Amino acid sequence: MSSLFSSMDVSASGMSAERQRAEVLVQNLANADTTRTADGGPYRRKDVVFQSSEVGSSFSTMLGSQMEEGGTGVEVAQVVTDNGEPDMRYMPGHPDANKDGFVAFPKVNPAEDMVDLLGASRSYQANVAAVGAIKDMIQRSIDLFR
Amino acid sequence: MLDGIGGDIENYMTLLSAREKVVASNIANADTPGYKTEDVDFSSVLDEADNAAPPRVTQPSGLRVKNDGNNVDLDREARLLAENALRFSVASNLLRSQLQDIKTALQDGSQS
Repeated sequence: MSSLFSSMDVSASGMSAERQRAEVLVQNLANADTTRTADGGPYRRKDVVFQSSEVGSSFSTMLGSQMEEGGTGVEVAQVVTDNGEPDMRYMPGHPDANKDGFVAFPKVNPAEDMVDLLGASRSYQANVAAVGAIKDMIQRSIDLFR
Repeated sequence: MLDGIGGDIENYMTLLSAREKVVASNIANADTPGYKTEDVDFSSVLDEADNAAPPRVTQPSGLRVKNDGNNVDLDREARLLAENALRFSVASNLLRSQLQDIKTALQDGSQS
């Protein structure tokens, strides 16, 4: 049964990774028209890279992890920034326009990010469903004590 | 008395727990590039007399590999999740009725 608790950690890692992905995607959508950033220049699109990782139950690592091995969870390996050429739009009246009247806009395609966001949301739900199933199994084990 | 069939049910439940973890890993890694679906080899564990041996993890074949090298099929995992829950429910109910039988015997056959 202790293996079921580490299964929950695996699903929790999936939930937190998908949440981070959604956060980055929402950031892209919100900044689709941002022409000024702290680093100067327009906002640059960001993307997460997932990689699988060993997830040990916090409990079993405390106990010297002699009880069981962890499962394969997931984590965000890095957040990559798209450093491609910005989208130049001709807006002479804009305060950030260059001498030719072009403004550098972030190269964000809202449709792409929205579709990705839906994927993140569905994957999050799948992990929540897994947690629900694991919880149910643990509850059934507990019911044996009655 | 419980050592016979009760022990077998216990091993079966342990096996199901191990499989649940594998399914949870597959779902968590549904978007990880290059991740390959894993599964517990049920038949090998049930065939072996030594049930205490750790279940063998295999990589099922015949799954469609996506462009990023990932071959997790969420529908398959959802099915396994439901199947596992049902199997576990059967096992826990069986074990419970075993325990109930012993309880009844201890109480001179009178229903509690």
